[in-house]
Amino acid sequence: MKVFLAALLFAAVAAVGVSIVLNTIQQPSYAAFTTGGARVGDPGNNLIGPG
Amino acid sequence: MQLSSPLVRRRSRNLETEGRSAMASSHSTRKASIPKAAAHKASILKALCAAFALLFVVAHPAAAQLSFKPTAEAVQEDKLLNALKEGDKITGRITIPDAMAASLIQPAGRDWRDFHRSKLPIIGGVAIIGMLALLAIFLMVRGRIRVDHGFSGTKILRFASLERFTHWLTASCFIVLALSGLNISFGRILILPLCGAQAFATMSTYAKFAHDYLAFPFMLGLVIMFLIWIKDNIPGKIDLQWLRQGGGILANGKRPPAKRFNAGQKGIFWMVIVGGALMSVSGWFLLFPYIPANVTTMQFWTVIHAVIAMLFIAGILAHIYIGTVGMEGAFEAMGTGEVDLNWAKEHHSLWVEEEQAKGHAPSGSTPRAVPAE
Repeated sequence: MKVFLAALLFAAVAAVGVSIVLNTIQQPSYAAFTTGGARVGDPGNNLIGPG
Repeated sequence: MQLSSPLVRRRSRNLETEGRSAMASSHSTRKASIPKAAAHKASILKALCAAFALLFVVAHPAAAQLSFKPTAEAVQEDKLLNALKEGDKITGRITIPDAMAASLIQPAGRDWRDFHRSKLPIIGGVAIIGMLALLAIFLMVRGRIRVDHGFSGTKILRFASLERFTHWLTASCFIVLALSGLNISFGRILILPLCGAQAFATMSTYAKFAHDYLAFPFMLGLVIMFLIWIKDNIPGKIDLQWLRQGGGILANGKRPPAKRFNAGQKGIFWMVIVGGALMSVSGWFLLFPYIPANVTTMQFWTVIHAVIAMLFIAGILAHIYIGTVGMEGAFEAMGTGEVDLNWAKEHHSLWVEEEQAKGHAPSGSTPRAVPAE
């Protein structure tokens, strides 16, 4: 049971860690795939901006 | 142009003289002839405009017919798409960093959409529901596979902590990945009507996050699993014997010999490794959509990801069944890590002999009489 819980905990921690790393090294799509002229200043809560 | 001949030079001078005299003559009469000249120029201008207008009216439709036909039929999307052959694309010129956005119309996209809407649910439904039906029939016909000699009460270590950790790491991630992936394919049909659009959208959003990020510990689990179990999963001649006897699970009686993993378990191992590798590679292209060179490549990997996922889930259902409900004493192998010695002898007799030779297992078992029924 301890091993099972440890695996669950590790999976959760690893997933959170990966999300932090990826969100740090990557740009959001609304910034990465647009030019400055087309970039939305405040994308808001929609499909191309942060939730 | 230079005129070198004396005869030509003389003729040229004559022309210049005649020209000057003519200009002088016309200059002397300019004031009198201005109204008439202006009217003449205006008439010439009108004629030129009319000629250009006529040329435009006559020539423009002909030129247009060479490039496209602006009829009602030509602008119908279906006919336009049908006119495009396999692999054709209508692309535009873009300046944004997303190169794939240059593809405006791609007929292969219709096939891809049809696949996800019609073929994939059939593949998934047949694979998953079919597997569940087969397992249910097998359980009803065969019943639970019992330990023929009963539990001995003596335990033998089957899987160490690292092995169980790796198994549960991969398994727990797989379950979340499978459920969140099935939600992408079937959630709109099965779950949306039950919980409503708002709840479904929220649930799907978090499921997508979980799917994206749990993919990484899943891939890590696959790598560790491959490294620690590859040596025990190389197919051998003994596996053929196991397969010929159906693993001894079709009826009670003599079990075929097997080492640490029998042919069935080796099949599961390689299904997980190969299927997991395909899921990882295809999933990597979906996680980082700028890696594929174009939309067609992206569509190819989504199809691979979806089809392998359905088959993978169906295969793992069989694995879960035999590890829990289907076989008595099997779950303890991954639960506590220790299995009953009689269970081990019946299903992995050669492995037990190896462990006993190493001194890792008790040499004898304590058979318990099967109670009369």
